[in-house]
Amino acid sequence: MPSEGSFPVEDFITAITSQLDRVQDSLRVKAVNRPLTYALKDLALELKVFVEMDQQGKVRFRTSGPNEAGASTVNLGFTTITKPMIEENTITMAATRSPSLQELGMAPEEQQKLERMGVSNLAQLNRLGSSAGVQTISRLAEVPVDRIKFAISQGQPQLHGVHPDGSHDPTIGGPKSGPIVSVPPRVTPLPSPPIRTTPPPSSGSPAKTPVIRVPIGSRRLNLKGNNLVGEDGPPAVRLNDKSLEVLQAENDHVVVDLPQAESGTLEISLPNGSIESFELSVDQDAWAPGGERT
Amino acid sequence: MLWNALSETLLQLVESVQAPPGSGVIVTEALIEIPLEVQSAVHSGELIFFATPPHSRWVSGVLPHTHLGRIQIELMEAESAK
Repeated sequence: MPSEGSFPVEDFITAITSQLDRVQDSLRVKAVNRPLTYALKDLALELKVFVEMDQQGKVRFRTSGPNEAGASTVNLGFTTITKPMIEENTITMAATRSPSLQELGMAPEEQQKLERMGVSNLAQLNRLGSSAGVQTISRLAEVPVDRIKFAISQGQPQLHGVHPDGSHDPTIGGPKSGPIVSVPPRVTPLPSPPIRTTPPPSSGSPAKTPVIRVPIGSRRLNLKGNNLVGEDGPPAVRLNDKSLEVLQAENDHVVVDLPQAESGTLEISLPNGSIESFELSVDQDAWAPGGERT
Repeated sequence: MLWNALSETLLQLVESVQAPPGSGVIVTEALIEIPLEVQSAVHSGELIFFATPPHSRWVSGVLPHTHLGRIQIELMEAESAK
């Protein structure tokens, strides 16, 4: 049982690091008016702590109090490192943006078991799954295969809708002021889909590409969905085989630049490799200022 | 007892590295080993460490343990400190 005044090791180290950052910031401010200044290069702390473990199996430190014998000695060393060194020794920012195990619907004990294997988000789960296999992760982490597959399916990117800037956002409500194309939610395929033994029933006509009607003055396109930003970044959006610049990227919302009014084929490559295609139609007559709607 | 945040104690230690005025000496590097009394507290949801030099040289059962801090300070040009 953790006693009062004990903290997880990461909190312990983070607290000291933030104090060191404060020191460096103060010294940097001081350097504005001085040609020479001192910098804190290294700090080593030899702390006497009691090491405890809580019910979740997390190691916690508590600094020793007066008249407490038997404390452990922990030597912590802090040094200044450069930005390239940080980038070399930490995971990418994109990887940290990946949905966490909690967001994927994993139970706390399942999260804990996977975190012990170095998996704390979807990107890490996918990477380990592609190298070791879901069965292996399941066996080593003692988490059922179905639960891991469920987590992976929950984290798949989904595109719910595409609408031009200034048009009605279905998630906000209010009067409809522009055309919207909504993509029905997809059932994400599991890693091992069932093999179809009979040909699928034919609908008689080929599936039509959804059409996005865009007012002539629109300069941006909004993509709404889930998990739109993957480890390699936001989805790639192409109009008539020309890349469109991504202006803003969040997991549930991506804004792309629409440089000029041009109709054509819009392709959105989602982080999992799937491509959504649309027909972009610039409707000059209906949506031009003062134009008549038909 | 007055507790200083670890950052304040470190800043004061850095400030203390000054050669006597007029001596023409510049300290380029200093390595300080100092015993510290360390205490932690949560303030506004944030864990803060306090660290101050021992307020007494006496060793007794009612005084906090001392921990060892080893601090390396070096002179830098202002441009490189930015």
